[in-house]
Amino acid sequence: MKVMGMNPRTVLCFLGLVILAGSMVFATGCGKKPEPQTEPEVVVEPVTERIQEPVVPEVPAEPQPLVDYTRMQPSEYGIEDVYFAFDRYDLDDRALGVLTRNARILKDHPEVIILIEGHCDERGTVEYNLALGERRAKAVRDHLIRLGIPTDRLRVTSYGENRPFAVGSNEQAWAQNRRAHFARP
Amino acid sequence: MPTLPRFLCLVVCLLFVAIRPLPGVAQGVPDVTLGVTKTAFAKIDILVGTLDVLSGGLAAVEAAAALERTLTRDLEYSGLFRVSSGEQPAPEGDLNFEFAIRGSVEGPLRDAQQTGRDAPTTVSLDLVTHPGGQLILNKQYRPLPDQLRTTAHHFANQVVEMLTGEPGIALTRIVFSRGSADRRDLWVVDYDGESLLRLTANRTLNLCPAWSPDGSEIAFTSYQNGLQGLFSLKTATGEVRRIIAQEGLNLGADWHHTGRELAVSLSRSGDPDIYRVSPQGEILHRVTAMPSIEISPSWDPSGRDIVFTSDRTGTPQLYVIDSEGAGPRRLTFEGRYNDSASWSPTGDNIVYATRETDITQLVLIRPTGEERRLLTDWRWRNCEDPSWAPDGRHIVFASDRTGAFKLYVMDVVDGDVRQLTFGDEPDITPAWSHN
Repeated sequence: MKVMGMNPRTVLCFLGLVILAGSMVFATGCGKKPEPQTEPEVVVEPVTERIQEPVVPEVPAEPQPLVDYTRMQPSEYGIEDVYFAFDRYDLDDRALGVLTRNARILKDHPEVIILIEGHCDERGTVEYNLALGERRAKAVRDHLIRLGIPTDRLRVTSYGENRPFAVGSNEQAWAQNRRAHFARP
Repeated sequence: MPTLPRFLCLVVCLLFVAIRPLPGVAQGVPDVTLGVTKTAFAKIDILVGTLDVLSGGLAAVEAAAALERTLTRDLEYSGLFRVSSGEQPAPEGDLNFEFAIRGSVEGPLRDAQQTGRDAPTTVSLDLVTHPGGQLILNKQYRPLPDQLRTTAHHFANQVVEMLTGEPGIALTRIVFSRGSADRRDLWVVDYDGESLLRLTANRTLNLCPAWSPDGSEIAFTSYQNGLQGLFSLKTATGEVRRIIAQEGLNLGADWHHTGRELAVSLSRSGDPDIYRVSPQGEILHRVTAMPSIEISPSWDPSGRDIVFTSDRTGTPQLYVIDSEGAGPRRLTFEGRYNDSASWSPTGDNIVYATRETDITQLVLIRPTGEERRLLTDWRWRNCEDPSWAPDGRHIVFASDRTGAFKLYVMDVVDGDVRQLTFGDEPDITPAWSHN
C-alpha cells in the first residue's frame, strides 16, 4: 500500500493524483465530517493504473531499491511550504489547502518525522521575528494535528528573519520569506 | 574621520553662542542643538603631547606613536573630552586646555634585543595641568609590543576616572553575530574597532550574545539539530556548554548583575514567557504567564525589575515587571511595534527599537515612560538591537545604512556616531561588555 519502491517520477505522478483525488473528495465531501481521510485509497487505485502506462517504458525492469523517505527533504516527496501575510500567523485558504495535501502525504509515510521551521521577512526586530516565526510554525503544527498527524511526528523551530529564502528588500522577496518550511530534522 | 563631526559640532557651538543673547530666537532652537551645545560646553579640553623617546630607536618611536594614537582616540571616544594631539591638532585658539598628557618611552635594552625575543618597553605616562604642568597622575608600565594598546587604554581609563569620577570604557569589548543564511558566528571586537576575533565555528546560527558581569562567559542562542538552545561560551578558552534547551524558544538572555542568574524567554509552555534561570540551567522563577509573546528581557541595574516586550494588547510593547512577576506596567504607548529594550547601567534610561512604516529606529525613554526621544534618523535606514556601554552614555547598535547591517556606536548625549565594524557580511545583535 505504501508508495515505497516507486521511482521519483512515479511518485510525482502519484502525488498529482493524490492531490486531484483530494480535491475531488473535497468537492463532493461537503457535509460529511471525518470521511476524506479514509477515502483516497479507493479513488487512487484505478487512476494510478491508467497513468503508469506512459511512464513504464522508461522504468527499468529490475527491482527498484526501497526509497527511505526519512533521508529525503520533505519537498522531494511533495510536501509544500506554507506562506503568510505580513505580521500574521493565521492560515489562509491557500495554506489550508497545502496543509490538507501535506497531511495526506504524511499519512502515507508514517515513518517520517518532520521539522516545521517558521520564517519571517527582514522587517522588524530579530527577537520578535523569532517569536513570530515560532507562532507560524506552531499554527501549521496545530493544524496538521487537527488533520490527524500524531504530535510526536511534528517538531517545531523558528529561524525568524535569519535564513531568508529570497534576498532583497522588496515585497516579492518578503513574501517568499514569510513561510513555514518543512525540513528533515 | 572624527574631525568632520567635531568641526560641525564646533560650528553648532559657535552658532549657539551667537544667538543665545536673543531669547526669542533661542526658543526656536531644536532640542538636538541644545543637547549638542550643552555637552560641548561641558567637555574637558586636553592636550596629548608627543611622548619623549629616551632610547630604543625606531621600535620605541613607533611604540610612542601607537600609544599617542590610542590615547587620543580613547579620550575622544569617551565623549568627555575635546582632544588635541600631534596627529590631530585642534585649530589655534579653539580649545581652552585644562590638562595635558605627557610621558616617555624607553626601548628594550640591548641584551634583550640580541636574544631576539619580544622585550618590554618602559612607558611612563603623566596627567598634568595645562598650562602649569602640575602633576596629577603618573603611571609606569612595562608592556610587550602587543600590549601597547592595552597600556594606552588603561591609562585613558585612569584619566577619565580621575577627572570625571566615572569608569572609563577603553578596555571594553563588543560581542556580536556575523554572517548570513545558514551560518552566523559570534565575533568579538574591542570597543574602538580593533582586535576583531571570531569565537564560534559550528556551522549554524549563533545569535543574541550577552556578557556575564565579569566578562568570563557569553550566553547566546544557537541551534542543535534545528532546535534552539541557550548556550554559554567561556571567553578564556572558547569552551561551549549548554545552559538550557527546552522545547521552543530559548532566547534573549540577560545576566543579573550578580552573575547568579539570567533572565531569558522560553516557550516551553506554548507561548514565550520570561523566566529566571541559573547559569546551570535550572528554572528559578517564571516571571510572566501570559497567552502572548513575552520576550527580550533586560534587567534594571539594581536587579529588581525587568523590562521586556509583550504583545498582549495585539502589538509588541514594552513593559516593566518586578522580578518576582508582580506589578507589571506598560512603558510604551507610542508606536505600534516596540522591542529590544536595554536598561542603561546607570539606571536612568532605557533604549529600544521602534518600527514605523517598515523602518526600525532607536528611541530613548526614562524608566517612568517620560521624555521619549528618537535617537536615530530614518535616513540611516534601520537601526536595531541597541546595547549599552558601562558608562551609560554610549550604545552600540546594528544599522543597514550602507547596505549590509554593520555596527555603530552612538554617544546618546551629544549624538555623535561612529562605525565600529566594516565589510560586506551582516553584523547583528551586538552586546557591550560590562567592564
